[in-house]
Amino acid sequence: MLLPLLTAVTLFLAPACAVFSDEAWNIDYHFALLGAPKEETSFFHRPNPSSKASLIYTLSEEHALGAVNPRDGSLVWRQILASGGDSHNTSFLRAGEGQDVVISGIGSEVAAWSAADGRLVWNVNADGPLEDVEILELSDGKETVGAKDAVALSGGEHPMVQRIDGASGAVKWQYSIDGSDAPYQLSASSTEVYAILLHKTILDYVKLRVVALDPVTGQKTDEYMLSSENELATADNVISVGANSASPIIAWTDAAHTTLKVNVVGTKSISSFSIERHDGNAIERVKLHAPYHINSLSHFLVHYETATSHWAEVYHIDLKNSKVEKAYSLPRVAGRGAFSTSTADANVYFTRVTRDELSTVSSASHGILGRWSLSSFGVASGVGEQVEPVHAVSEVSVKGDTVSAIRTTVLLSTGDWVLLRDGKGIWNRPEMLASTVAVTFAMPADVVALAQQLEVEAHGNPVAAYIHRVQRHVVDLQKLPSFLVSMPKKIVQGFLGTSADHAAGSDIFGFRQIIACATRSGRLVALDAGHPDRTLWNRDVADLKPGQSWRPSLSSTKDGVIQVSSAAGTGINYNATDGQQLAGDLPIIPDEPDLSTSRAVRYTMRGNSLEATYDWSPSWTFTPIHGERILNLVPRPVNDPVASIGKVLRDRRVLYKYLDSNIALLATAHDASSKANFYVLNTISGAIIYSNAHPNIDLTAPVPTIMSENWFAYSFTSEASDATTKGHQLVIGEVFESLIPDNRGAMGASSNYSTLQTATDPPFTLTQTYQIPEPISQLAVTRTRQGITSRQLLAVLPASNAIVGIPYGIVDPRRPVNRDPTKDEQAEGLMRYAPVLDFDPKWYLNHQREVVGIKNVVTAPALIESTSLVFAYGLDVFGTRLSPSFSFDILGRDFNKFQMLATVAALAVATFVVAPLVMRKQVDQRWRFL
Amino acid sequence: MLVLKSLAVLAGTSLASAANLTVSIPSSPPLLPNPSSLAPSTHAVLIGPPGVQYEAPIRRDNTFTFPDLAEASYLLTVHSRDYFFPPLRVDVTKAADGTQQETVQAWQTFRGNEWSNKGPFYGSSNGELKIQIQPSSQKNFYQDRGGFNIIDFVKSPMILMALVSVAFIFGMPYIMDNMDPEMKEEFDDMQKKGPLSGSSGAAAQLRNFDIAGWLAGKGSTTEQGAGDTSKKR
Repeated sequence: MLLPLLTAVTLFLAPACAVFSDEAWNIDYHFALLGAPKEETSFFHRPNPSSKASLIYTLSEEHALGAVNPRDGSLVWRQILASGGDSHNTSFLRAGEGQDVVISGIGSEVAAWSAADGRLVWNVNADGPLEDVEILELSDGKETVGAKDAVALSGGEHPMVQRIDGASGAVKWQYSIDGSDAPYQLSASSTEVYAILLHKTILDYVKLRVVALDPVTGQKTDEYMLSSENELATADNVISVGANSASPIIAWTDAAHTTLKVNVVGTKSISSFSIERHDGNAIERVKLHAPYHINSLSHFLVHYETATSHWAEVYHIDLKNSKVEKAYSLPRVAGRGAFSTSTADANVYFTRVTRDELSTVSSASHGILGRWSLSSFGVASGVGEQVEPVHAVSEVSVKGDTVSAIRTTVLLSTGDWVLLRDGKGIWNRPEMLASTVAVTFAMPADVVALAQQLEVEAHGNPVAAYIHRVQRHVVDLQKLPSFLVSMPKKIVQGFLGTSADHAAGSDIFGFRQIIACATRSGRLVALDAGHPDRTLWNRDVADLKPGQSWRPSLSSTKDGVIQVSSAAGTGINYNATDGQQLAGDLPIIPDEPDLSTSRAVRYTMRGNSLEATYDWSPSWTFTPIHGERILNLVPRPVNDPVASIGKVLRDRRVLYKYLDSNIALLATAHDASSKANFYVLNTISGAIIYSNAHPNIDLTAPVPTIMSENWFAYSFTSEASDATTKGHQLVIGEVFESLIPDNRGAMGASSNYSTLQTATDPPFTLTQTYQIPEPISQLAVTRTRQGITSRQLLAVLPASNAIVGIPYGIVDPRRPVNRDPTKDEQAEGLMRYAPVLDFDPKWYLNHQREVVGIKNVVTAPALIESTSLVFAYGLDVFGTRLSPSFSFDILGRDFNKFQMLATVAALAVATFVVAPLVMRKQVDQRWRFL
Repeated sequence: MLVLKSLAVLAGTSLASAANLTVSIPSSPPLLPNPSSLAPSTHAVLIGPPGVQYEAPIRRDNTFTFPDLAEASYLLTVHSRDYFFPPLRVDVTKAADGTQQETVQAWQTFRGNEWSNKGPFYGSSNGELKIQIQPSSQKNFYQDRGGFNIIDFVKSPMILMALVSVAFIFGMPYIMDNMDPEMKEEFDDMQKKGPLSGSSGAAAQLRNFDIAGWLAGKGSTTEQGAGDTSKKR
């Protein structure tokens, strides 16, 4: 009788870990990011040449190639390009005019992608690292109709120029560059292809060598050296090599930025201009902006930047005699500025973005065609921080002498990527979050305030506590009028279900925690888990020099405070709500052992062994077997509450869990025999509690590990032999004091327990291995406040771009093997063991979304026991709330308020209808009896 | 797109090896009538021996191409946002006739089974193999809640029982009233004799159960005082 009921209950429980259709898209949030776009690889382009709608294409610093809809900032498609892992961090993205493909170049690979849907059209592997990719805009009658060919310049051992067919990706010709000169860039005019090489002179100066090639045959037609007269110290001073314009140019400056030299490629004459100083500061950067179209006017703009201001000069090239002349200059403006070039037919327009103004000029004259004032960019920034534009891309349409519409995307110094339409902010994409390196959850201070006050009352003497309480209530009373005013609205919203959970003023469930993200660029960005669509604050905390990196670690030591510490510096505290730095609370690095922390065991990786010190003296050392290296060490989380010390079986007996807060899972790899070992260690005594070895493992694949409560899990990719299986496996192990119920093993008799004394009998471990369909790159586990709620194992699936929440019951190592579960086991929800574990799509936390490039998943408990907050970062940012054992302490979205009201109303009506009947019947009965 | 770690292996194998694999996704109604609707993130992965892994994004013509495969036994998996695809085993071996060409073979494989357990044969070719792979099922991400349904509600046994008893309570008096007098008398008699009613009926016994007496060890004293309860209708 009970059994069918219980199976029904387990069936009912099974979908508890699924994503409900009414919760999806509501409680979860996702930023599909690209990373900071690069100026030279971002542009507006029409994916379909016949339609006017254009998309913004970019190849970002994170090597993500994507198309963004300029209307709302949503991502149309995205491809993560493998950079090849080398430090050669150049990437190229080009689109030919009127083409339905965009061509990317990264590492040594040139690929063409369908501009509308992001599918691969062709790809070619150049033999060396790519130095430049250009599109041949000329038409020589030989190319396939419609598709424009690409030219690639590659370096490496055999530098060469290749012309790649735009339709098929076949190499049409290749020209090997002789000599030891480093390939630098490509440039194409309407008649020739120029390869620009850097030639090192004996005095270590750089000279520019230009090789002209016939675009049809790939034969060298000309070669010459530009006399740069020892003023080019490094290649960094070459500011631009224009491409695909009617007259491509090379421009460079001397190291002190005093003269600008311009050469029209194909000629040997060099025009020299002295750079004016506008203020006392030295010029830090010179940038050149030129149109990218072969039939547009050959005008270009030179952008000068000092620490405090910027200005620009526009030059014209006379095509007949290849003379360069200065046309006009744009005035100096304080702060940084960004210029962008856009073309319409042959006309060229320059758009300037400064701190507070957007303006467009024609390249022909300095008359301003359109000017819009920008009040702010609408992004969160640090207190007193000036948001400045870094670079911009524009699409301009001009009617007569005025700009009729202008769309400009600007990358800001805060890392946001915004779109301005006619000077108004339309959307912003928080691209700085794509480089998040560390994350922590923090409770906002206002939530904590009540808890603190209650604590004061609990610990004070009764009279003082009473006075305190009365005072608190008086203060609370002041909020009554506003509360009463908002009440009707709240009730209506509550019944209509329109109030999102976070609309409530205060956060009684702890869902509105602050998520602080430290980015690689040294910024600290705070998000509200309840209102993820807006950034709370965003401030620069590290002040990194370009190229400098930091390894921050974030923690929330007490509520409302976020502590940032880096390998180099000490911890600095920030207010979680507004990002203010908290003064007077700056800890100093302890030079001497701190008494309060010296009783902790510390670990250091020394060479290839793990060394633990206790009381500042060596405690134990773990040295792997010869030839092995340590892959990773995962300790049990510090804050890992466990509600029950045992597992209560169906017959009311108890299996005692081996609960020790000082255990860790260590993975080592033996590369020669492709073997991996996994050890569960007691981190105080160094004793090995459990160990297992797996042969035939692909050690280049990720080996994620996790440890929580009394269980651990790890995953790996195994290699096949004929008798074994090939693929990915997930191993889960659970440690018990004893496998006999109601028996505490060796610890049962002893009343004292010391972690330092090695137990005579090791605990018992049950493990189970499951075949999983795809690799796991990272494991995490849900956390709740008291640990009563069952746990869910969170696994990042990089192949499916997903995060999957595996209920613990599904992978429970106690699942019976080779037999059907007994009734008792069935009642506990244990199923018969099956070696293949399929990830049910209903377990995908991200459901239909694609979360790409997730590097880590962090979890935090909410204030209510049932719920755990999840935040995943890497390239994308994804967050959600999970209730692994249902939302048992909160009315969820499944609670139908109308149904409840209808039931009450129906009962009321029934009572009123039945009451007279009952009354009559009672009266009748009285009469009958008497 | 090749993962670079495979390049080292590639360089090691002779460039003459020209084992190519092209996997195409045909239109397979009703599951996937238009393969061009697959997300651009759809990609195929060939996992070879440790360190050898090739990855290919979907092309405009709904294919994945793997050029220049090294000799090995591979696991081919197609990952898509909306569909599951069966895993395949792809073997690249030296051709039997000793030429430079290599033989590419493909079978279906089964997870959790030994690697030698091969499923349906997908094809074999020298040099270049073209196979077709169809999705096995669509991914369904969402769990619908059992919403409120008035018919289901009424159908539930509890409600049915309640409704029947309500019908009896209200309907009985009318049936009794409309009964013919003889029938009614007979019915009354029957009720008196019935096991649940009457002075010796279970209901009456239960109601008049003398718990104190029973505890005191007395016998069936319930007969006494079973008064006029039977008089009630």
